[in-house]
Amino acid sequence: MVKRSLGPLLALGFAGIQFLAVMLVVFSSYLSSEAALIGHAREILRDVATNTIEHSRGFLSPARGAAVLAARLAQSDVVASDDPTELEKLLFQQLQLVPQVSGIFFGTEQGEFYYVMRDEKTGLTRSKLVTFPEGERRTELIWRETNFEITSREMDPQDRYDPRIRPWYTQTQAEMRSVWTDPYIFFTSQRPGITLAAPVSRPDGSLVGVMGVDIEISSISDFLSRLKIGKRGQALIINENGDVIAHPDKTLIKTGNADGTYRFVTIGELDDPIARAAFGPLFAEGSMPGRATKQDFFYGDETYVSQVMPVGSDILPWTIAVYAPKSDFTAEIERNRAVNIWIAAALAIATGLVGLLLANLVYRPVRAFAVRSALVAQGELDPSEPLPSTYGELERANDTLVQEIAERRKVEHEYGQTFEMAVRGMAQITADDGRFLRVNREFCELTGYSASELLEMRATDLTLRSDPPGPTGARELINFDLPLNKELQCRRKDGELVWLQINGIVVRDQSGTPLHVVLSVEDMTRAHDQEQQIQTLNRELAHLARTTTMSQLAAGLAHELNQPLASIAQNVDSAMLTVDQMGTDNKDLQLILSEIEEQALRAGEIIRALRGFIGRDEGGQSVFDVAVLVEQSWRLVNAEAMEHGTRIETGLDGLPLVEANRVQIAQVIVNLLRNSIEAMAAPGSKGGQLIRVSGACTDGMVTVTVEDSGPGPDPKIRLFSDFETTKPAGMGLGLSISRSLVEANGGKIWHDDVCTSGARFCFTLPVYGADGE
Amino acid sequence: MSELGLTVFVVDDDPAMRNSLPRTLRMRGFEVEVFASAPDFLAQYDGKRPGCLVLDLRMPEMSGLELQQRLGDSARFLATIFISGHGGVRESVQAMKGGAMDFIEKPFRTSSLVERIEAAFEQVRSQLELQRKCADIRMRFDRLTAREAEIVARIVACPAEISSKEIGRHLGISPRTIDHHRARILEKLEVRSTAELVGLAVRMHRDCAEPLFDPVSPPED
Repeated sequence: MVKRSLGPLLALGFAGIQFLAVMLVVFSSYLSSEAALIGHAREILRDVATNTIEHSRGFLSPARGAAVLAARLAQSDVVASDDPTELEKLLFQQLQLVPQVSGIFFGTEQGEFYYVMRDEKTGLTRSKLVTFPEGERRTELIWRETNFEITSREMDPQDRYDPRIRPWYTQTQAEMRSVWTDPYIFFTSQRPGITLAAPVSRPDGSLVGVMGVDIEISSISDFLSRLKIGKRGQALIINENGDVIAHPDKTLIKTGNADGTYRFVTIGELDDPIARAAFGPLFAEGSMPGRATKQDFFYGDETYVSQVMPVGSDILPWTIAVYAPKSDFTAEIERNRAVNIWIAAALAIATGLVGLLLANLVYRPVRAFAVRSALVAQGELDPSEPLPSTYGELERANDTLVQEIAERRKVEHEYGQTFEMAVRGMAQITADDGRFLRVNREFCELTGYSASELLEMRATDLTLRSDPPGPTGARELINFDLPLNKELQCRRKDGELVWLQINGIVVRDQSGTPLHVVLSVEDMTRAHDQEQQIQTLNRELAHLARTTTMSQLAAGLAHELNQPLASIAQNVDSAMLTVDQMGTDNKDLQLILSEIEEQALRAGEIIRALRGFIGRDEGGQSVFDVAVLVEQSWRLVNAEAMEHGTRIETGLDGLPLVEANRVQIAQVIVNLLRNSIEAMAAPGSKGGQLIRVSGACTDGMVTVTVEDSGPGPDPKIRLFSDFETTKPAGMGLGLSISRSLVEANGGKIWHDDVCTSGARFCFTLPVYGADGE
Repeated sequence: MSELGLTVFVVDDDPAMRNSLPRTLRMRGFEVEVFASAPDFLAQYDGKRPGCLVLDLRMPEMSGLELQQRLGDSARFLATIFISGHGGVRESVQAMKGGAMDFIEKPFRTSSLVERIEAAFEQVRSQLELQRKCADIRMRFDRLTAREAEIVARIVACPAEISSKEIGRHLGISPRTIDHHRARILEKLEVRSTAELVGLAVRMHRDCAEPLFDPVSPPED
């Protein structure tokens, strides 16, 4: 029963389901888009690292060209002269050529030093020349325009610079090939840079001096600061020894030494706590990562994505490190998710409320109607009382009920008249002893008694004594649990026996006690006679069908089995001959072979005996009218035909009598009709199904044709052969039995496929009196 | 045991039978030819080769009985033995009516089939012998001239009036001429007396079912 809690339950259910659904969508979309965004972020980081590597290489490669060129020039005696001005001019020209180069210099074994550099403050070129004329150290500073014109010059007596102790010199001297120094802070400009140094040697291989090129790499830091990585992402470059050599904030990467010079800070010292947290541990372990790695890390209460990528070059053992907070990429969708959750909650609450209201609204009139129905049912309310306001459906139901009640009353009133006027015999009898209470005119006609006579009698007085036995009356006649539907043989007043079809209904009061029985009676005598005839035919057919099927089955089996048995017998014979020819006197083998032959022959005997045992019932010939037989056979299959919507037409008038076994021919007709009905009921057959049975007489034979509008026989089937069938449950004996039966009666059966789309089977029977041999 | 020129023709739709029966028959020295269906046999048999037709009764395309009917007179030197997987009385009667030598139900002992085949061969052989004799007699009669044939016809027609005088009167020729003809006739027909001549003519009539002469026979009566 529907309870009142339906409303809230519905509301809660709706709200819950909706909330769950929305949350599911929100989270699934959040998760998938977060994954996509983080993937995207990693890609950005990798691109940044790759860009930085490319930029750094691009930035450094011209400088390398410059240094090598300068070294070659120096070697080829251009600078071999003692003319400092010539050498300065050479260096000056080289500096002008390559913009990345901040200074170019040449230090000799004697401690002389020629250095041409760009002066950022004045925009001019400054040359620093350390020479030892007459053994005395002399340091001269010269500023020049781009056309080598001197702007100003001065001496620097304080200068103590000695190239031979600088790292670039010592390293080159040691390795005797061009070397890249580690990045360091330039002495003069106090800016980060690297030096590319190449040895200048005499033909004998002894060192003259070292040619060097300074490349400022602070522009790489500038490049990094221009990069945009999310909102707060940073990229930095770390040398193999852990020095941070480029960082978007240039001021962070250098620190003062105790002697007033500068060096790079290491990653562990860097004043960028996030970078320190991210990459410090990597370099603290002593070696830089050998290949690109990505990792996520936590700093503060944020998650970061990071990417480390080595430049992958011997001369630049640098590593690009990039990091960015995850929230730069996912902040927007996280905010979105929070909003969505709130929206889902709000929606769920709203849905719940609406559901509650709606359920209440829907249920209220139903409840009112239910209450009213209960009242009407208990008789506390008249059905004609006005309805409370409710739905159209309920109103219509109510109207129908009210009409039904009115109709009932009317019918009860009319019943009396109907009873009298009925075409069928009607009688009302008492439920206990079967006395007649009321009979109509037709009932009097059927029984031959008058109404007043009948009212003195009991129902059992009409039935034959043996059927039903005993004098107890209606109780015997009527099983009170079931409506009565019986055919009984009764005796009329004039003594004639009639078959009556009796239908009875027990009328009970409210507590279920039988009040009386109403009988409706129809004379079935005529129908019964014909029915009985057909029943007999049916019984005979059933018997015939059993025996013919068995016999045909045995014949078919005999045929199928006798073939292999015959083969066995022949093969044994061959084997015996072979044994004889071999000349071996093997008695056992001969015995075995002759036994095989015996057994094969014995099996044949058994099959023959079986067939003889089942033997066909030859039956008697009789003279009859095929038209009548077709009519009766048709009645036997009519129920099946109707079931499949098939019509059967017959046209066999004016045929002469035939002489044959009546039951056997009935079997053939029934077989053909059934085949047609089943063929047309099979799936794939057309509509408008019709079976036509017609007859003709020629040359002392009557030909009966059964044709249908079905699909016709399957062309793959050999008609009239044993065990050939298209019916799912058939044995394939029907047509071959029919053939045996027709042929046993001196006729022929064939399928005529000339002119119809469906099947058209014909068979012939000899006309009575015609000399059919 | 093989008869030169006599063949066993086996017609059976069952492949196993087609395999086993001919094998055992061949082992026994018979000349065997096998056919899978009646139409196959009809297509290949020329109607002349003598022998024994071992014929399955029930076959899908054309039954053995139908084949028997189709062959009819065209198989004078073919004795038919039916073998049947489900011997029905009706079919066997029909088969024997149609001139079959025998009717055997499957399965059967090979020896009994062989006995029957041999009986069939015997029959065919005597048929052939008869045909040979008929042909011989025919040939002898064909040597006669029209006049001589006329005289023989007269003798055979009225064996009571065989003196040269009576025949001469009947034919309107002198008895001397008749005597002359008679000597030639006895010589040509290779008989010693007129009685033998009549016997020969009767045998020809009886065994060979042929008229003595072509329509030329007696010009009057």
